[in-house]
Amino acid sequence: MPALSPETVLRVDDLSIVYRTDRGDVRATNDVSFELKRGEAMALIGESGSGKTTISLALIRKLPKNAVVTKGQILYQRENTVQDVLGLSRRQLQAFRWNDCAMVFQGAQNAFNPVLKIRKQFEDTARAHGWTDKVAIRKRALSLLELVRLDPERVYESFPHELSGGMKQRTLLALGVLLSPQVVILDEPTTALDILTQRAIIDVLNDMQRQLLFSIIFISHDLSLAAEMADTVATVYAGEIVEIGAVDDIFYRSLHPYTYGLLTSVPTLEHAQDILQSIPGSPPNLIAPPSGCKFHPRCSFASEQCQAESPQLQAESASHLAACWHKDRLLASREEGA
Amino acid sequence: MASSQMLEWLVSLPLDLLRGLVGFLRRLSANKPGFVGFLGLVAYFIVTFIMPNYVEFDNEPKLDQITGPIGSRIQLAVHRDNPHLDSWEALAGKTVGVVRQTGGPSFIEPYQDQFTVETYRWTSRRQGPGIPAALTDLANKEIDALLIFSKTVNQVIVNQEDEELQALFQDNIIISNPSLGPPHLLGTDTQGRDIASHMVHGGQILILTALIGGVIATLIALFFGSLSALAGGFIDKFFTALANLFLAIPQFILLVVLAGMIRFDSTLYLGVIIGLLIWPALLRAIRAQVLSLRERDFVEAARSLGLSVNHIIFREILPNMSSYVLINLIFSITIAMYFQIGLVVLGLAPISDYTWGVMIYFGRSRGTLYNQDGATMALAPVLAIALFQVCLVLFARAIEEIFDPRLRSAG
Amino acid sequence: MLQDQSHIDSTSQPMETSAAGLVDRLTTSLPKIYRSYTVRVFLQAIITIWAVMSLTFVLVRLMPGNPVDVLIEQILTAEGISYQEAYDRVAASFNIDKDATELDQYFQWMGDLLRLDLGTSITSPGTKVIDEIARFLPWTVFAVGTGLLISFVLGIIAGMPMAYYRGSKLDHILSFFSSFSTGVPNYIWGLLIIIVPGIAWRWFDIGALRGTYDVGLTPGLNAAFILSALEHAALPVFTYVIAILGTWMLSMKSSTTGVLNEDYVNVAEARGLKERTVIRSYVGRNAALPLFTQLTISIGFVLSSGVVVEEIFVYWGIGHLLFQSITVRDYTSLQGVVLLLTAAIVFSNLFADLTYGLLDPRVRVSGEK
Repeated sequence: MPALSPETVLRVDDLSIVYRTDRGDVRATNDVSFELKRGEAMALIGESGSGKTTISLALIRKLPKNAVVTKGQILYQRENTVQDVLGLSRRQLQAFRWNDCAMVFQGAQNAFNPVLKIRKQFEDTARAHGWTDKVAIRKRALSLLELVRLDPERVYESFPHELSGGMKQRTLLALGVLLSPQVVILDEPTTALDILTQRAIIDVLNDMQRQLLFSIIFISHDLSLAAEMADTVATVYAGEIVEIGAVDDIFYRSLHPYTYGLLTSVPTLEHAQDILQSIPGSPPNLIAPPSGCKFHPRCSFASEQCQAESPQLQAESASHLAACWHKDRLLASREEGA
Repeated sequence: MASSQMLEWLVSLPLDLLRGLVGFLRRLSANKPGFVGFLGLVAYFIVTFIMPNYVEFDNEPKLDQITGPIGSRIQLAVHRDNPHLDSWEALAGKTVGVVRQTGGPSFIEPYQDQFTVETYRWTSRRQGPGIPAALTDLANKEIDALLIFSKTVNQVIVNQEDEELQALFQDNIIISNPSLGPPHLLGTDTQGRDIASHMVHGGQILILTALIGGVIATLIALFFGSLSALAGGFIDKFFTALANLFLAIPQFILLVVLAGMIRFDSTLYLGVIIGLLIWPALLRAIRAQVLSLRERDFVEAARSLGLSVNHIIFREILPNMSSYVLINLIFSITIAMYFQIGLVVLGLAPISDYTWGVMIYFGRSRGTLYNQDGATMALAPVLAIALFQVCLVLFARAIEEIFDPRLRSAG
Repeated sequence: MLQDQSHIDSTSQPMETSAAGLVDRLTTSLPKIYRSYTVRVFLQAIITIWAVMSLTFVLVRLMPGNPVDVLIEQILTAEGISYQEAYDRVAASFNIDKDATELDQYFQWMGDLLRLDLGTSITSPGTKVIDEIARFLPWTVFAVGTGLLISFVLGIIAGMPMAYYRGSKLDHILSFFSSFSTGVPNYIWGLLIIIVPGIAWRWFDIGALRGTYDVGLTPGLNAAFILSALEHAALPVFTYVIAILGTWMLSMKSSTTGVLNEDYVNVAEARGLKERTVIRSYVGRNAALPLFTQLTISIGFVLSSGVVVEEIFVYWGIGHLLFQSITVRDYTSLQGVVLLLTAAIVFSNLFADLTYGLLDPRVRVSGEK
């Protein structure tokens, strides 16, 4: 295993995933690479279907059955040992999941088994990872439930249907960090929640991260959430990371027309889907993607070069990379506009 | 009702059906079990509807000869035209015992209920009392005649003083031969008749009866189910309640009771009765289906376009229900089959038509079913019915899979 | 059955509101809704039973060759007594007051039924129909119940892998079997069992297995009797198992398929739970839940589906009694049996409706309060 810098928890190299379907192979992600540092919060932004969720599912090897990883590795470091997540045995994988990397799924409404009490589901999880002391589990769970601002005793003894959507989401967060994972993946942690609950969840997340020191990867349409929570932001388009950088770089100095398009479209408060109004066209067909830069059919700066050649991620500064042939023109037009 | 729409629908129907059929067969061939079921049904059609024209029903009892190797099957039957028939009155109430070398009970089936026949049970040489015991019985006059059949012995022993009785038995023994192969593919029955010919002729009426039952039930359910769903309100409540009430009565039991009280004199009439009994579950299914279709986008669209109710029913709802109705029809045919054959097996249905069900009935009542050598007589119709049902189910499942499964799950 | 779920939805609301508000809501509206639901379900059941009772009453009297007259005729020719005597005897066995109008008879009969008085058997005078039923029914309940339970358990066990490995060879084989199981009538299965292993292969002596236990044994808690009863029930039970199994398999398969698509199964796997835990507590438990309701409902139906099977195996259960009453035209017994079998269906439906909440915590809230 290659050595990783001690600060790195997770490094993804050239990850390419294909979905085999009746109509052909869907290239869901293409040569995705990024690094996640200890305590870092990274946001993956992009339209739905861009491959954000595929990336996150690959991290815990929870891809659908028809998905095939064609290339790449996912390196995970804990206490100076590095392992490739894609190479874990079944048993190792079971141990890895949740204990090292937990995923808080989109739509927590159905994340809990309706016929088991919350207590049982916490116990199941802890016991699967070697905890045996029910009292210790209970103590840990109650403190976490308190951390997510719930009435711990009551929620712990409830059935899932007795909790509201926001309560379930927070309970799932608590369950997510039960085993002190190093990485927590949050898939759209705030969609389908009302504004107040969203706010509460963000606060809880910030609190928790401060106290429990885990790294976060979160997936969102909601750029304001990204701006507020993330240290690093990666823009995903058609299965590729087209721009990645520190949160300020992305929000104030974006170098990719797609990122810029996402940012300039004004999000309505509730309907995150509307944010793409200012980008014409629709996401590309990933069975037969466009040639060259995959964004070119929708890009106002597109040139012949964009049609012919695919741009690579290039460093603009140490932490800011973008894949575009016409960064200069984007910058120029922005200065004009400003 | 707007007749033009009706006409349009009727004209386009055959073309649509043909086009649909070709496409359907192509898709069916991809579904292996379904295709097997389909081929099976075609085979059943050929055997029961076409072959009877070429195969004659063997109704010629061959009772005056012993056919086949001795010991292969034991049956005693006496010809109707037996000249000794008159003197049988004298035998009434007397007991005839039968001993077989090994195996289960042997049966003697008198042609008429002229005298009592009791089977003398004989399980095996090791366990049973054996022939000597039976001979003792004979000597004690506890029984009047003893018939012994084995591989080597074919003997009638009658109490010596009764010579007439002895002659009677010796002259009228028939052992029919169930050995497979030509000329009797499935062997012969208790009267020496060819079972294969009975199989060919015994299916048509059963299948027709089941078809009638299924079609009647489906039509009732389709009409009143759609009416219920489309009209809503009181009509809907009424038919739903009626269906629920009927569902609470075990329908087969009701049929059994009816059959016990009224003698169904024709098998086809039985089909009608069955159809009138099994509609309720179907009605509920179809009502639910129409309800869900009514809410479907394309119907909504048609309605908002101001298309007439007839148009919506005949061009939008019915075509989209055809596969569903077909599946339900097939399942109600299997139920009708269950009902009528169950009735026949119980002996409560007409046995004038010599169907597979009647063959089973005779197999039971004449005891051949319990005879190792005679079991084909019962096994052939039993298998024929079983496989027919399986073919129907396989075919229905295939249709279910071929046509959009979401069509139903939404209902 | 379960089409009316309003009581479920209205009570399974989240308890986001303050505890006081919740308690308040529960104490006021819940019992009302729940009680009215219970009342409604009960009422429906009672109406159904009443309708069937009346139907039986009318049926017996409207049949061509009115059984009362037929019976009087029979007695007249057989015993050569006066018409009045014969009529009296028949009237007694039918619970008919001879001077009463049909409407009076109807109410009289209903009244007797309410006291569980089903009259006395016509063909074996002096035997109460209720006693007859009590003699035959336990055997049916025993055989059918055992068959139903075994097939239920097997169906759940076999249905899950069918859903897990959809499209695999295993799925195809099991689906194929289920087509046999559901398509072939139960009595045809019975006949196949008698003919093939019984007669052709001589695995067992079918003649010795007639009846419900060996002749000469005294019913009771002795080993010989119990063994004999089990032995005699084995073939009918096996028949029921084979004939019902396919339905459970398919139900379980479709139920499991649905559950496998649920988020919580996905999350459970992501939580690193052991496969066994996921299969048992997450998939199996949720998938089997709706099947329990189906099981309760089917108890009523299966009781009456064994008539032909019992006749084939000469197993003396309720079906045998029914068949006997028909063949000897014992109309009072017949009325009793039909009523019983209908009541079984109605009450198993009712039971399913009322116990549905006990199994599913989502509904349990409404059941407890």
